[in-house]
This record gives sequence, C-alpha cells and structure tokens, in this order.
Amino acid sequence: MGKPEAPEILPGTLDLLILRALAAGQMHGYGIAQRLRQVSEDVLQVGESSLYPALQRLLLNGWVKAAWGASENNRRARYYTLTAAGRKQLASERAEFARVVGAIEKVLNMA
Amino acid sequence: MNPHLHTWLSRAWRRIVFRWRRAQLDHELAEELEFHLALKQQAAGELSHIQMGNMTIAAEECRDMWSFLRLERLLQDLRYAARMFRRTPGFTAIAVLSLAVGIGGNAAMFTLVNTLLVRPLPYRAPDRLIRITGIFPRAAVPFIQQQTRTMDVAAVSPGSEYNLTGEGEAIRIVGSAISVNAFAVLGAAVARGRGFEPGEGSPGRDGVVILSNSLWRTKFGGDPSVIGRVIALNGMHREIVGIMPPTFSYPSAQVQAWVPMRFDPSNFLEYWAGEFVPLVARLRAGTTVAEAQREIQPLIDEFRKTFPYPMARDWNRDSSAIPLQRDLTGDIRGKLIILLCSVGLVLLIACANVASLLLSRATTRRKEIALRVALGARRLRIVRQLLTESVLLALVGGGLGILFGMGALSIFKSLLPSSTPGLAQASIDWPIAAAVAGLALVTGLVFGIAPALSASQIDLAQSIRTGSQRSSGAFWTRLRGGLIGAEVALTVVLVVSAGLLIKSLYTLSDVHPGFQPKQILSVRVSPNASFCIQRPACVALYDRLLEGARGVSGVAEAAIANTVPLDAEQPDLPVDVEGHPKSVDHPAPMLWSGAVSPGYIHMLRIPLLAGRDLTTADGAKSAAVLLVSASTAKHFWPGGNPIGKHIKSAGEQQWRTVVGVVGDVRQYSLSKGMPDWIPGAIYMPYAQAVREDGQIPAAMTLLVKARANTDGPAREIRTLAQDQDPNVPVGQVQPLEEVVAGSIANFRATIRVFISFAAAAILLAAIGIYGLVSYWVTQRTYEIGLRVAIGATRNRIVSMILAQGLRVALYGIVAGVIVSLAVTRFLASMLYGVGATDPLTFAAVTALVLGVAIAATALPAWRASRIDPIKLLRVD
Repeated sequence: MGKPEAPEILPGTLDLLILRALAAGQMHGYGIAQRLRQVSEDVLQVGESSLYPALQRLLLNGWVKAAWGASENNRRARYYTLTAAGRKQLASERAEFARVVGAIEKVLNMA
Repeated sequence: MNPHLHTWLSRAWRRIVFRWRRAQLDHELAEELEFHLALKQQAAGELSHIQMGNMTIAAEECRDMWSFLRLERLLQDLRYAARMFRRTPGFTAIAVLSLAVGIGGNAAMFTLVNTLLVRPLPYRAPDRLIRITGIFPRAAVPFIQQQTRTMDVAAVSPGSEYNLTGEGEAIRIVGSAISVNAFAVLGAAVARGRGFEPGEGSPGRDGVVILSNSLWRTKFGGDPSVIGRVIALNGMHREIVGIMPPTFSYPSAQVQAWVPMRFDPSNFLEYWAGEFVPLVARLRAGTTVAEAQREIQPLIDEFRKTFPYPMARDWNRDSSAIPLQRDLTGDIRGKLIILLCSVGLVLLIACANVASLLLSRATTRRKEIALRVALGARRLRIVRQLLTESVLLALVGGGLGILFGMGALSIFKSLLPSSTPGLAQASIDWPIAAAVAGLALVTGLVFGIAPALSASQIDLAQSIRTGSQRSSGAFWTRLRGGLIGAEVALTVVLVVSAGLLIKSLYTLSDVHPGFQPKQILSVRVSPNASFCIQRPACVALYDRLLEGARGVSGVAEAAIANTVPLDAEQPDLPVDVEGHPKSVDHPAPMLWSGAVSPGYIHMLRIPLLAGRDLTTADGAKSAAVLLVSASTAKHFWPGGNPIGKHIKSAGEQQWRTVVGVVGDVRQYSLSKGMPDWIPGAIYMPYAQAVREDGQIPAAMTLLVKARANTDGPAREIRTLAQDQDPNVPVGQVQPLEEVVAGSIANFRATIRVFISFAAAAILLAAIGIYGLVSYWVTQRTYEIGLRVAIGATRNRIVSMILAQGLRVALYGIVAGVIVSLAVTRFLASMLYGVGATDPLTFAAVTALVLGVAIAATALPAWRASRIDPIKLLRVD
C-alpha cells in the first residue's frame, strides 16, 4: 500500500501509454518511464510499483514480448517489444480513449 | 465475445506456463528491478526508503500477476482451516456430527416427501387423475360411465388373496379385479403382451390375467414366453396376456396380478352387493376437478334410486372427487409431515449449536485475529478466512450427512406401509443430493457471517495490549444466549413429543387384548373357495386337520378360526338382529363374524360371561347357534339378557340363537378394539358358519397351543397342513404373540425414530449449554479471579455461574413448553391413552431438560471455582 505517485494517471490508461511508447520501438522498463516523463514534460511520473505489474499484465495478455539484450551502458536489460496483437490493442484502446475524452470535453464545454 | 474469450484463454495458458517457470521469472524480475534501480540511482543519487520500498511492492504485485491468485488464496485458506480443525478435534467432531445428523435426517425426509407427496404418479398426465371417494357396487360402474359428462371412470378393487396353483408349490398372491378400461384410464401400459380388451369383463371371456413385474420374476423367472400360458387362480383357469412394468403399483405395491372385473347383471349378488369397489377416473379434456365434484352427488342420487333393495338415504353422501395422488398418500401424509417437521427441528438445533460454537471460537481467537490485522491482513481477507472455515465445516458435515441420510432413509421407509405405491423406488437422488449440498452451504454461510462479523470488529490496540477478553460485544454474547435458549425450546418440543409417544406405547403394550396369546402357534390354510362349495368337504378337511394337530406331540389344544385377533383380516358381516328391524335410515348393522371350532374360546382364554361355550354337538345338522361379545350384547340389548335372542346373516332365512356371551377381544387393533362402524362380534361354530355370500369360509387359521414354551411343533404342524392337499397353500407358522406385537410394529418404529430425534436434540442442547457457559467463564476469568481475591467463596462462584446458565435454560424451557402446548395436538392421531397436553409428561420433560442443563453447566462452573486469583492477577 505505497503512496500513489502524484499526479495519478487515469486508471486504465497506463497500459495504453506503455503500448504507445513501445510503438516507437523496443525499450526497457526504465526507458519507458523516462520516455513518458519526458514527453509529458514531467507531468506523468510512472512509479515502478505500477510500471512493472503493468508490464507483466501486458506480457500475460500477449500484447508485448520481452527479450534480454545489452543496454547503453553494456549491462543486461530486458527489452519489451509490441506484438501484432499489441498493435491491434493499441489501435482499439486509442480509439476508445479518444471517444471518451471527446465525450468528457463535450460535457465540460456545454453551455 | 470471441476475441475476449481468446484473450482470456491465452492469458490462462500463459499463467500456467509462468507457474512452471516461476523460479526463473522471479530471478529475471529481480535482475530487471535491480537494473532499474541502478539507472535511477545514477540519475538521482541516493534513494529514500520509500523508494526502495516501492521496489518490493512492485516485485510482489508482479508475482501475484503470475499466479492464480484467488485459487491459491482459497487453497491457503482451506489448508489453514484444516489445520485449525485438526488442532481442535473436539470442536470439529461436534460441529461436523451435529451437522451430519441434521442434514442426513433432512436429506432422507426430503427424499421421501419428494417421492411420495410431490413427485407425480408415473402415469400419463397424472394431474388429470381423480379418485371418487366412497365405495360402490359393480352396477354403479356402467351407470356412471354412461351418465357422466366430465370423466372416464374405472373400477379398481383394493386387492384380495388368490390361490395360484399348478405352478409348483401352491402360493397365495394378492390380486386386484379391475374394469377392463382401468389401465387406459390410469394411462399406464403393459411392458409385455397386451392389456385387457373390451368385452373381457363379461362372464366366459374373463379367463385372462396380467402379472406384476415382481410376480413374473419370482414365480416365472422372468421368462417372456409365459405370455399365453394358462394358470389357475382360485381354481379358475386364466391365460397370462400381459406383464406390467416394475414402476406400476396401483392400487398398492402388494398387488401381484390383475384380473378383469366381471360385470354380469344376471348375477344379482355380485352385481349389486358383494364387495363394493373404489372408483378412479380421468378428467376429460377441458373439464376441471370442481366440475367433476359438482357432478358426483347428483349422479349418486340418480343411482341410489336404481338399487333393487332399499339403500340408506345418506349412502355416499360425502362422496367427492379428490386428486388421485392425495388419495394414495392420505394415510401417511400426516405422519410424513410430522416426521419432516421434527427432523427440521433437529437441523435447526444443530445449526444453532454450530453457530454458537463458531461464535465462541471466534471470540477465543480474537488475539490471533488482532495480530493478523496488525501484520497487515485486510479485514475482508479475515472475514473470508472465517467463512472458508465454516463452509468447509458445512460441506464435510453435508457429505457425511448424505451417508447418514442413506441409512436414515431405509429406516424411515420401514416406518411406512410397504404397500405404499412408489415407496420401493424411493432412493436418495441427485436433485436431493444437490439440495442437501445447497442446504449445507447456506447453513455454513449463515454460521460464518455472524462470527466473522463479530471477529473482524476488533479493537486492535486493546486486544493486543492486554490480551484479555474483557471487552467483547455484548450484542454477540446476547445473540449466543438467544440461540441456546431457542435450542433448548426446540429440544423441549421434540422431547415432549417423544415423551407423549412413549407413554402411548407403554399404555398400549399394557392393554389387555381380551385373550391370552402365550404359547399359541398359528398357520394360515387357504383352500380355494370353489373347494368349499360343498360344505361337508370343507368341514371334513378341517376336522381331519384338527384331529391330526391334536396328535402332534407337544400340542395341548388345537382349534381353527377364520381370523385370529390383530392379523389384519376384517371378516365383517351384515346381520339382521331380532327386534331391530332395518329401514332406509337404519341399514343392516355390521358385526365382526368369527367362524371357530369349539375349543377356540377356551384356548384363547376369552372369558365366558354368560350362557355356554360352543361344543362339538353344535354341528352342521343341529340347531344354529352363536356366541355374542359383551359389546354386541350391550349394543342391542342394553340391560337385557341376550341368551335366547336371535341373529342371522342379512342374506339368510333361518335365525340363529344366542347361547352365550363372551368377553370383548381387540380384534382390529390394540388401540381400537373394533372399527368405528362395527359395534361388536359374533362367533359361529365352523360347521354352521356363513360368509356374506352364503358360503362357508374357506381360508382358515389353524391354532395350536404348545405344552411347553417352544417352537417344537411348528414344523410338524406345517407339514401336516401341507399333507392334506397339495393344492392348498399353507402360510408360515407364526406365534400369536408375534402377531400381536406385529400389529403395533409400525408404531413402535415411529417412536424409535422420535426417540432418536429427541436424544439427538437433547445431546446437542447439552453441548450448546456447556459451550455457552464455558465461554462465559473464559470471558470472565479476570472478573472471577478478582471476586475470589476479594473474598468470594468457591460455592458463591459456582452458584453464580450455575444461575447464569440456568437462566438461559429456563427461558428456553418456558418457551418450549408454550410451543409444545400449541403444537402437540397435531400428534393426537398417533397418541393412545394420553392427552396431547398430558401434565405428567410435560413435568417429566421439564425436569429432564433442566437436569441436563444443570449437568452441562456444572462442569464449567466447577472449573470457574478453581480459578487461581494470584496467577491471574499477576499476569494481567
């Protein structure tokens, strides 16, 4: 029961973000966290206590694959790649997310 | 749906794979996290403890992800529960056994009720079948068949004995005469051969018979070629045309053969008088039971006018139509419902007991639970653990219960008349097993919830700090008290019922039956009625038999009689009594008619009250005489002298003279000497005796009185009877005392079941009270110690605890007595010689339950008085 790291990511969106990050190419866990942080300009800080379980979940669902490789500093690191199923999942989750965000937008902007 | 299923399946598959490679995965994860940490450290310098802790949580959650978490937790809970149960074998045994007894009894009773009262009859559209209550002469059958617009009517006689000869040893079977349309009306088909055809009810064409499956198997070895074979029934040749399936058991399971009922208007006696028969009917399409009911009385009115002799105005006035299933279960319905209620009470008691046991255990485990909460166990997890324990308990109890139930079912089955249709087929079936499993589960959840709630409401700091159990929810304590009180109340109801029945049985066994059965052996000899058309042949047969029997060594006396008391035969005879003319409103009275050899009255030690006994001089050619019983004399000639008065069978011309009065004998049942419609008995000398149809009774019972109390002459007597004529079936030799005991065997067995219910209840209640009081003592150890420390004597402590236990018991007893007063009247039909609110029984039961309560309270009270205050106060 660790403290959630501020700011909280919308539930369910972490998987989507990881999938999107991996769409650019293979990456290790730390890399994913760094990338999300950079792109979001430090708004999204993913803690390891949610990152690694999420990665395990994606592995279980068959949406990503993992393989050991050499890292930049020449250490053994686990690299994750998107699978075909993961790509499909990304597309459908993106569309769903856009739909929900659009809907929320409409509600917020109502007269 | 499909892609979801696919994802789900592949996830499950990967989980299984992950499970295999667990060690490797663990290792890889550790390395990955370490790598992450290293990079992070590089970026941010030293890491805080919280950040390190996050790593542990991450690893843990990942591991959870790999496993079948819920299943593993369940297994863990089960393992834990099993360990708990092993550690407290006494508690576990009591809980499981009380559940098993409760659930087993209920499974058996539910099976019986389902089979006999709920499950439809195995015929086509059984809900359209009705029984027209009352009995009718054969002439009524064609009359009603022609007049009715609502139903198809058939006659099915209840079954009488037939001699089956010419197939090895002559045997006596039960056959039922039915109108040829009966199987069609019932919607039952033969398994082999054919049913009866129209026209086979007329004389000359009725030489056919249909066998039951059991007779076909036992007597004919299940040989299919018997169809077409001719057998002799009561000397009449009949061709076997069909065999019924084993499931068919109408009108009763004892019927082994069906023959066509003859409808012959030229045979006046058989057609209009003779044996009256019950009618069954199938409602025609579109009609209702109510319409049939409305039609019946007008039909009976019309039919009464066609009688060739005057018929009572109120004849069959209460005839109506009832569903056939209700008719079949009429006699046992009440008994079944009473048994079902009492076994339900036992289950309730068992449940209350187990709930209270679990409740007290939850309390003693407060410390353990508090510790687990402190170590981070979530409340939900603990509640689930406790629920797992109670469900496991209930399931084990339920499983054992099904085994118990199978045993109980065979006992319950023996309590019901074996002729009950469908009884033989009753066996615990899967729907019942499922219902029992459900019952066990629900009971488990119900027990589980209260203790689980009570246990999870724990003030952490309080419990751990002191370890004492001083602070506990008063509500739960009161709930336990209430449970035990209710349990005691239910126990009182059961024990009172058992007590009333035991007292009935005691009174009944003490009843003087009006005769002395000691040392008398009886054997039934039953020649065909056709053999006795020539009266002298039959008289000679029995004279020979009597003479032979007197010659057997060890025999002191011998006699014959058409029935022996309490053997379930009913030889009633309509009579004319001198000075009592019959009219439309007073039809011929019925009397129990004995046909006996001289010496019978003396052999049974039936007291001769006035006049003389029958003698050998009262032969076929001498003046017709008879004896009357005391109640016959009182009924017809109250205060007067019956000797010299006259009685005759309603069918004959010549009067018979009363020459003696003998004592009353309980012929029909020990509880009721005679059926309601029979005011008394007469005894005719065999050589002069008549039945309703004017014939001499053919089937007789040979009685011998042995010199010593042995079975010595039994075999010789049977051989002697068999030697007279190979075509005459001879029954088994039975001591008369067995006949008497057999007449109340059902009652005795019912009582045995009640006693076991009551014993189970009282045992459970004792355990319940004991548990409750022990719990109090444990809870109040500190307080008691303090009291002792400041000078309370041991006696004071004991009486304090005793008073507390007995208060609950007393509340329960008072409630139980009130409930019993209200409900025991439903037992009235089973009681004999004791009122449903018999004060003596109530007092005895109250004393018994109170005594048990005192005993159950005394042990924990004594233990409380041994509490050593020094030890106690030092620890706290």
